[in-house]
Amino acid sequence: MDPSLIFFMVLAAFLAVMLYTIIGFIPGTDETSVLLPITLALVLAGVEPIVVLTFFIAAIVTLNLTNTMPTALVGLPGGVMSSAMIEHSLVIKNHHKSAITIKKMAAASMLGVLISVPISLLVAHLLTPFAQHIVPYASWLFVFGAIFLSLISKHKVLALLSIVPLGILFESLRHLYWGLNIVPQDTNITVSFFLGITIGPLLVSLFSLLNKDTLNSELIEADKTILLPKVEKEKRRLNPFKILNKEERRHMSLTALIANFLFVLSPVGLTILFGETVGKRFKDPMRRATMSITTMSGVVQATYLSGIIIPLLALGIPLSPVAIGPGAALFNAPPVFSLNQNIHHLLSFNQFVLAVIIGALTALLISYILISKYAKEITRFILKMIPHESVLALFVAFIILLAYMDAGLINIFGVLLIGLLSGTLNKMGVNYGVQFMSLYAAPQIIQLLIGAI
Amino acid sequence: MSLKRIEIWGDTVAPKNLLFSIVIIVFTTMTAHLIAPKDYPTMGLFFGLIGAILGFLITVKLYKPKRIIKEEQEDA
Repeated sequence: MDPSLIFFMVLAAFLAVMLYTIIGFIPGTDETSVLLPITLALVLAGVEPIVVLTFFIAAIVTLNLTNTMPTALVGLPGGVMSSAMIEHSLVIKNHHKSAITIKKMAAASMLGVLISVPISLLVAHLLTPFAQHIVPYASWLFVFGAIFLSLISKHKVLALLSIVPLGILFESLRHLYWGLNIVPQDTNITVSFFLGITIGPLLVSLFSLLNKDTLNSELIEADKTILLPKVEKEKRRLNPFKILNKEERRHMSLTALIANFLFVLSPVGLTILFGETVGKRFKDPMRRATMSITTMSGVVQATYLSGIIIPLLALGIPLSPVAIGPGAALFNAPPVFSLNQNIHHLLSFNQFVLAVIIGALTALLISYILISKYAKEITRFILKMIPHESVLALFVAFIILLAYMDAGLINIFGVLLIGLLSGTLNKMGVNYGVQFMSLYAAPQIIQLLIGAI
Repeated sequence: MSLKRIEIWGDTVAPKNLLFSIVIIVFTTMTAHLIAPKDYPTMGLFFGLIGAILGFLITVKLYKPKRIIKEEQEDA
């Protein structure tokens, strides 16, 4: 392999760490919306696949680590994943233990990565021989995936009943665009539909504010007061093994390990499940909160890493919520990648492993040290600098841009339609996982329906 | 003086500032996208993203975060 490629990989990882450290600290930055457009841009720009993969791995490791910081310090979730931690972080804040807890969370997060990288590479390796039997049934797997995710979700019947209508919505838009010759027949619009689902709940909130009565009823007359806890500078222990006690280490390692094998399940769901299960074993509220939040910090890394590494290395089709969502551009980014020709097909096993290791280690090394020392300073800086308005507006602009690029002006409204429906369903209790799976299953669902008549 | 604030996605915003922020960033993003050179297909996305960042920076300059930050004295 060309040695200069290694240099570019390290450089890509470094840039990812810098960019996503800032993004991670900004409250409310949804993981998919900040990972997907930038990864897509890199793929479309023709960046070497191995460099793209390194960038992506570094990005998710950094983002999962930094997202937890504003959550723990000021109770604003850095991203979707860390919203599960809010309740526990408030308990910890009230006990004035934020300073030591953010160090524990960073340490747990680091251990989560160190466990997940080898385990998910191993699982992928073991799964590879079966891949040729699995891949031909991919379109069926998405249908079963949508049903399966519905069955393990909180509101089963609601989720099950929403699969077909969602499928019809996606396919009807695609057929409309084909029929009007807006996109060629062989183009299956996915990226902008996908982001439409992601941003759905925000769109529904924004639209409901256009109703003057709703707006007036929700007006409040005060800025949000944010308490920034005091963080002692002296305790600069950086060894992650020493920051966590034996009990924390054991629970966190075991759950991170198990999470790797459950890569097809929703990351948020797994994080809540494991965090709460571990937490419930402890009576003391403070102890419970600490155990839950350290467990979650590790599990978040495990779900993301396994969710991208296993499907990408073993199968080449996006068969996990992470692969369908934030990592979609690694599987499917026409005209550069398609489901038959993507990072899975273009990289050898060794190249893949190298990219993952360089990405993960670079990210850990820099962001772990950065966070252990400056978490509070960065949080204060971001909260004072970045208005929430700018963040929300940026998401709206992203979605409009990608919708327009996929199928012109009409698709901006098409995606709006998707956003309003899936956002409403989301607020009713149909989780993202079910909706994303329905998007991928849509063509097969329609085939089934026609066949059934 | 009464403030007009809305809580959306876990944080507070001023509805008017939010509306103008959306208009500004969407405008810079789409303008940049539309003036991108057409001969190279990926330029559209790049220009768009740069436009988005530009718009983002403009709104960051223009509007203040609606947060009051207090430092807590923690007894360790």
